[in-house]
Amino acid sequence: MNTYEVFLKKPGRDEFRHAGTLDAADDEMAVLYARETHNRRAEGSEMWLVDRRHVLVADPESLAVNDDKSHRHNDGSLVASRRKEDREAGQ
Amino acid sequence: MSLSPAARDYLLAFADDEHMVGARHTSWIGLGPFLEEDLAFCSIAQDELGHAIGLYELLLDDAGVDRSQLDAFALQRSADEYRSCWLAELECSEWSDSLVRHWLYDRAEHMRWGALEACGDPAVAALARRAQREEAFHLAHAEQFMSRIAASDQATHIVSSIKRLVPIAHGLFDAVHTEPELLTEAFVTTSSDDLATTWVATITDDLRRWGLDVDLDGNLADDGSQSDSQQHRCVRSAGFTQLQADLLKVITLDPVAIW
Repeated sequence: MNTYEVFLKKPGRDEFRHAGTLDAADDEMAVLYARETHNRRAEGSEMWLVDRRHVLVADPESLAVNDDKSHRHNDGSLVASRRKEDREAGQ
Repeated sequence: MSLSPAARDYLLAFADDEHMVGARHTSWIGLGPFLEEDLAFCSIAQDELGHAIGLYELLLDDAGVDRSQLDAFALQRSADEYRSCWLAELECSEWSDSLVRHWLYDRAEHMRWGALEACGDPAVAALARRAQREEAFHLAHAEQFMSRIAASDQATHIVSSIKRLVPIAHGLFDAVHTEPELLTEAFVTTSSDDLATTWVATITDDLRRWGLDVDLDGNLADDGSQSDSQQHRCVRSAGFTQLQADLLKVITLDPVAIW
């Protein structure tokens, strides 16, 4: 049995969204089962199935944010607070 | 448009087949070989029960009986008032038997609805067209599952199920007494005998495509006695009494409850 990831898209501008997974003997049966397991009530009008073996998985280590990258997360609060102090000081 | 007595007999036989086979299929709820197949098979069961409801509603409407009486009509007639064939009534406690019955039954069912698609009664023709959309899925499921099992080391299981069930399945084409009238009126476009011939050719072709070596001629030799035993669907199979008792288990707990 292979595992497949199922994606559904509603009509209109919504993007494809992950709907779940299923197991099937092969691609053809996966498409057959997906209709019953994830779209019995017409939850989507388009469906993608991806064999999980074909999914490229990123290394979680490469996704971790380093502790020393606060300079990348400037939200402007330091500048705002300095300007506020300047205003209040009448400068 | 009112139905003739002949048409009512014909539709009742089809409705009872759909009801019984749907009820039998539902015995696999929660017990299917794996979750995805459990869901698919039970969905097919619900479709067949839906077809039965559609046909029962046509009969109730025609008789001027309120649809609230559908459960009583479907479940609480006396055994001799049912017209289901023995294949539909059969208890299949082995998965391979249920799978093979599903294939044999749906091959026939698709053809039977096809014979009603040009029916002069628009409500019957509309129901036939609706059912055919669902049958496309049922046939795809049967084809895909059977072909995979046929190519596996489990093929011997389904071969023995085919040998056991094909003679019983031929009773699907045991016509109600009134069928000749319906062919004359063009209520139905193909006789049960002609459907049976097409059905045998189709299942023979399936078996050849799947590489299964089953001597259908030898297995069909019994069909005459099988059809004779059903007596135009007027006689119930040995397991029917228990089947009906099982179907009535809940409704008899509280006969006046509204479900």
